[in-house]
Amino acid sequence: MSDSKKDLHLLEDEKHLVLDHDYDGIHELNHPLPSWWVGIWIISIVFSIPYFMYYHIAGGDGLRATYVKDMDKLSVIKAEQAKLLGVFDVEDYKTWLSNNDGVKLGATVYEENCLSCHAEGGGGDIGPNLTDKFWINAKDRTPEEIYPVINKGVEENGMPAWGEVLSKEDMYAAMAYVISLKGSTPPKAKEPQGENIEHE
Amino acid sequence: MSTDALEQTKMEKFSYDDSLVKMFLGATVLWGIVALLLGVTIAFQLAYWKLNLDLPWTTFGRLRPLHTNAAIFAFVGNAIFAGIYYSTQRLCKARLWSHILGRFHFWGWQLIIVAAALTLPLGFTQGKEYAELIWPIDVAIALVWVAFGANFLGTVLKRREKHIYVALWFYIATIVTVAVLHIVNSISLPVDFMQSYPVYAGVQDALVQWWYGHNAVAFFLTTPFLGIMYYFIPKAANRPVYSYRLSIIHFWSLVFIYIWAGPHHLLYSAVPEWVQTTGMVFSVMLWMPSWGGMINGLLTLRGVWDKVRKDPVLKFFATSVTFYGMATFEGPLLSVKSVNYLGHFTDWIVGHVHAGTIGWNYMMIAGMLYYLVPKMYKTELYSNKLANMQFWSATIGLLLYMMSMWVAGITQGLMWRAIDETGKLVYPNFIETVIRIVPMYWVRAIGGTFVLLGFFIMVYNLYKTIKNAPKNVEEDVYLAPVANHAEEPNATAHRKLEGLPVLFTILTTLAILVGGAVEIIPSLVSNKFVEANPDIKPYTSLEIAGRDIYIKEGCYVCHSQHIRPTPEEYLRYGKPSEAADSVYDRPFQWGSRRIGPDLARVGGKYNNMWHYRHMINPRDVTAGSIMPNYPWLVANKTQYDTLTRKLKVMKALGVPYSEEEINNAAENAMKQANVIAKDLSASGVDMSVENKEIVALIAYLQRLGVDSAQKKDDSVAKE
Repeated sequence: MSDSKKDLHLLEDEKHLVLDHDYDGIHELNHPLPSWWVGIWIISIVFSIPYFMYYHIAGGDGLRATYVKDMDKLSVIKAEQAKLLGVFDVEDYKTWLSNNDGVKLGATVYEENCLSCHAEGGGGDIGPNLTDKFWINAKDRTPEEIYPVINKGVEENGMPAWGEVLSKEDMYAAMAYVISLKGSTPPKAKEPQGENIEHE
Repeated sequence: MSTDALEQTKMEKFSYDDSLVKMFLGATVLWGIVALLLGVTIAFQLAYWKLNLDLPWTTFGRLRPLHTNAAIFAFVGNAIFAGIYYSTQRLCKARLWSHILGRFHFWGWQLIIVAAALTLPLGFTQGKEYAELIWPIDVAIALVWVAFGANFLGTVLKRREKHIYVALWFYIATIVTVAVLHIVNSISLPVDFMQSYPVYAGVQDALVQWWYGHNAVAFFLTTPFLGIMYYFIPKAANRPVYSYRLSIIHFWSLVFIYIWAGPHHLLYSAVPEWVQTTGMVFSVMLWMPSWGGMINGLLTLRGVWDKVRKDPVLKFFATSVTFYGMATFEGPLLSVKSVNYLGHFTDWIVGHVHAGTIGWNYMMIAGMLYYLVPKMYKTELYSNKLANMQFWSATIGLLLYMMSMWVAGITQGLMWRAIDETGKLVYPNFIETVIRIVPMYWVRAIGGTFVLLGFFIMVYNLYKTIKNAPKNVEEDVYLAPVANHAEEPNATAHRKLEGLPVLFTILTTLAILVGGAVEIIPSLVSNKFVEANPDIKPYTSLEIAGRDIYIKEGCYVCHSQHIRPTPEEYLRYGKPSEAADSVYDRPFQWGSRRIGPDLARVGGKYNNMWHYRHMINPRDVTAGSIMPNYPWLVANKTQYDTLTRKLKVMKALGVPYSEEEINNAAENAMKQANVIAKDLSASGVDMSVENKEIVALIAYLQRLGVDSAQKKDDSVAKE
């Protein structure tokens, strides 16, 4: 035992702390617990107990309760927005169109949001063809008819309510682009769906 | 020494079973290459989706579980066994108890790894993270583990040393706890030889799984390495351990507290909130017990820091312990609810895990290999320079890994939660948040490559070392007096306990059982925690078939099915998930990472055609998607003939299927498949898809979240 201790690298300030332990030449000192270590540990425990008690004994707002409150706030904002978006003023749309290149802006909005279902150039794929004269949810290729379809969506056909996602300006732009597609020839065109809206 | 002298001092002659240690060291190196190679592969797959190769067995969803299993159980596992067998014999001054059990352990474990490497890419999985292996392999793991435990305990009991050293305490905790975790989490009812359904469902399964998952990290990746640290650092540095007192306190607090922390993986979920809070506060209280190990490791190196600069062994050990300290600070930080909300489901967690596995485990293993190989082959290390090269390669690689994952995780977490003043998501398209972080995936993959290259350098260095070693060295013979079992009237209670390994094992077992019992048993025995919702019905037989495909393809690796209760999650995915939503989910599929969006309420969100296109090539419907193609889903036939048996097993587990549903499972599935196929054919798809896997998968996806949405519509209708 003493043999292995002789070779041991010991510092001056710890010689008195060597214990009479020897495991395969491993020795142990008995330094006291570092005070900062004990201090932080105590703080972590002192924090934890009242933290638990606040939420689960004193009835503080937990995650679900906070969610309900946050949703109340959000639903006020959303109701205001829905009201704003729900009203379609064709004059407002025309003013916006005269100040912006609607078709160009709309092409970008279309690419990011509509293309995955309506395909390139509005040819239709998962969703219907937007270039032909057959429409499912609009009776005419007019802003008044198309806007509500974009804003509210058509749940049963899988068309999302874009009013929940896009701003009014983005919807205006997308609409301008879609209207511009009339009679164009997309790379791949889906067969007609819905009613013929251009009665001769 | 003459025989007379031997008798006089009552010395016994013995040697150590080091050939077993050498076998495990070889396996460590071999599986280390495999595990790291897989890690680098899947890292590049995330950066560049085409590397999924359009083949079932090379897609990310199947390879990631293979990577984690290979890294944890094959690479780290073999290293643990080598380290434990080497140090335990020496700390006990006794040869390994059973030669045969040792070989059984070695070959059994390698066979388990090979079985895992075959079954996981073929899609045979339980669908539970870090516990993916199918039930026959689970049984084999339990048997081999028991053999390991018996051999360890047998060696400890015949020791020639009165007390057991702190390293052995940590080995005891490892052996006992891993056995308990593995067995409890794996209980399931087989459908056939390759498949089974767990006895737990939904919230219960989530609690059991994360109690297991978290403590696999604690008792497979942490405690055995603390034991290895306590043996190898004092030996390599020739320094005494800093504080015996600290080792007692941090050992007991660590094993007691660790087990409580599991639910921090389930914050903001549908498990009872008191369980979540408990998981969080115990994680915070765990910070200092973890750092107790770091202090004892680093301060043991007091006075020899000059050696740490020169000696590769000590350099790896010191770095390993430093990363351990970093990771065990980051862990409690990520357990704080608000921090967790930002980091959960993002790459921050992935980075955190690798700070542990690469920083702590890989570095410690490298140090141990550089210490053990020259010693066991009675030679010098071939090249210190190459060892230094590995050190820098691994360290730089790891830092690139961690930093890229911090950036990716925090960026994506912030993008997910951003809401503008009109109450809309700023980034409503999930794909925007993916495309933004793809550059970080390249950085991570490059970092991982550095770690792998370092490993290759080490393999070469060790190979040269062994090649240059003298041949046919004889086994060393040691002398030690028989154990002295005299009473120690003046010893402290703990010192006395160190002489009683069986009692020590029993007390450790009790310490680790408390936390799990308090958190899990209430949800197993009481229905109070899962609010019943009569709208939620069991899956149809076709949906069960589809769900099994979802599990087989490892969809849960990238898609969560759990919506957290916050406004931004509501806006993106729908109303928060509730406990009742997953009462029929065996196994639960809540997931832990959102590489793609949450799917808890994806049912009805897109039409069937969208899913059809998306599975064949995700980029057809989502530009920039990094998801693999799944063309084989259109070619493979759905297995209808096993559905009756599957439903029978489900019924035995408590799912209320009627006799009709069970007996006509196949017919019912075909009927439902026909409806979907008709819908698809209306959009131009060939009717022959009706018996293909894709239709079953679509049926399952279209069902997700639909039942509880019903309720909302009803209440609206009434108004």
